[in-house]
Amino acid sequence: MSVVAKIALEGASKEFTGRGETVLALQPTTIEIAREQFVALVGPSGCGKSTVLNMIAGLQAPTAGRVVYDGTPVSGPNRQVGYMTQKDTLLPWRSVADNIGLALELKIRTVSANNRARRVAEMIELVGLTGFERHYPGELSGGMRKRVALARSLIYEPETLLMDEPFAALDAQLRLVMHDELLRLTRLRRMTVVFVTHDLGEAITLADRVIVFTGRPGRIKALREIPLAHPRDAFRVRFSEAFAHLHEELWNELKDEVAKGTDR
Amino acid sequence: MSGFWRGFVARPLGMALIRSAMLVALLVGWEWASGNVIPKFWISSPSAIVAILGRWIADLSLFGHVGATLTEMGLGYVIGAAVGIACGLCLGFLPRLERITAPLIAALYALPKIALAPLFVILFGIGLESKIVLVASTIFFLLLYNTLDGVRDIDRDLVQALEVMGATRSEIVRKALVPATLPWIFTGLRIAVRYAFTAAILGELMASNEGIGYLIEASAGDYNTAGVYAAVFVLVAFSVMFTELLTRTEASALRWRV
Repeated sequence: MSVVAKIALEGASKEFTGRGETVLALQPTTIEIAREQFVALVGPSGCGKSTVLNMIAGLQAPTAGRVVYDGTPVSGPNRQVGYMTQKDTLLPWRSVADNIGLALELKIRTVSANNRARRVAEMIELVGLTGFERHYPGELSGGMRKRVALARSLIYEPETLLMDEPFAALDAQLRLVMHDELLRLTRLRRMTVVFVTHDLGEAITLADRVIVFTGRPGRIKALREIPLAHPRDAFRVRFSEAFAHLHEELWNELKDEVAKGTDR
Repeated sequence: MSGFWRGFVARPLGMALIRSAMLVALLVGWEWASGNVIPKFWISSPSAIVAILGRWIADLSLFGHVGATLTEMGLGYVIGAAVGIACGLCLGFLPRLERITAPLIAALYALPKIALAPLFVILFGIGLESKIVLVASTIFFLLLYNTLDGVRDIDRDLVQALEVMGATRSEIVRKALVPATLPWIFTGLRIAVRYAFTAAILGELMASNEGIGYLIEASAGDYNTAGVYAAVFVLVAFSVMFTELLTRTEASALRWRV
């Protein structure tokens, strides 16, 4: 990647200190993500994938090394990104519709009330929550809350989307629908996406590049470009021969790490 | 039989009937016991209490006393709560100021405000003002600490989510911190009703010439136990009414809490 990367980790590592013990969560890691690229991070639990997202979002500073966004080191919350965290951070006192429209109410975006209502309605339909507009988060199932969180981060179309296992709580059919929508939307809006998942199939379906991490302390184990052509059909792509080869190849990298993870 | 009983209790009307029956039994038992088992002088009787209440209402004296106590309690409550919430929010958002002032505030909080009541009488006289100050100083700390705890309890992840979304400092305060603190403020307001009445009555017991506390003190001075019970009954009625009012306001303001 000779052009300036959209996002770059330059030897970034992360240690956590608690109860007098220091745990290395992420070994010094270097990643370059180009503009409009869709990158999936795959690896066992606790391998520092979420830490990578937190560092790009500017919510955690690397212990050593640095994270660069658009050529500028990240320090403090990164407002260029939309971040869908693993834990949904919905505001419990706001209805579904008001949660989804939250970003459009802020001063840095000038959106008229009419326009906002229309876009909220579109998002609600997209994530299949029609009829629940006036419900509060406490009245929803875990999967529904995830969909609200997804709609909330998609609605303002940030140039970069960070997603931490966004679809893990969804049923299989809805997950495929969301894959299709995400592919369509991110390409249409020319978004850069960093996507954390446990699901290798999901990673191959969506990503231009898959990065496999080892177990803790996390380190990049394998890096694979996904040459499947766009536009991809999220419903069919997994039945192609190329997909099966990629899955096989990446699974060989991943399976030892997963096994190591369960031994402990 | 037991099935019938359970169904009966489950209905609002059935529940109301059972509660009324309990109350009637209590009153009848009290009326009977008074004079027969326990001297009338000690426990008075429901009929004597009703008679006194009737007399106070007829000569309009009750309204003056109730008005005085409600004024002290109400003004003290509103002033103490407003200042307490404002200070709680300020200290919550300015953690450094909070750390500096924490020992001072803790010391003032630990001080039983009632110990200051004689001082308030010297400073503000035996009229309503000294009681308003006493009530306000009690309520202030209750709401200060409740609000402060509320601000501290805020989910940091919510704030971070708003920061990444591009919210300004004031937007974060308005859209996340204040609504998140609201349940804590309501809890404080609800608890504060009882404390406000207690402070107002104690102030009146100590030095006053009107109010429900004065009524209790004056009746006791005349060895008129029926008068004491009647005044206490009025007090309980208002305390329950205000607490209930707040509980309902809270329930409708915090509908999202399911």
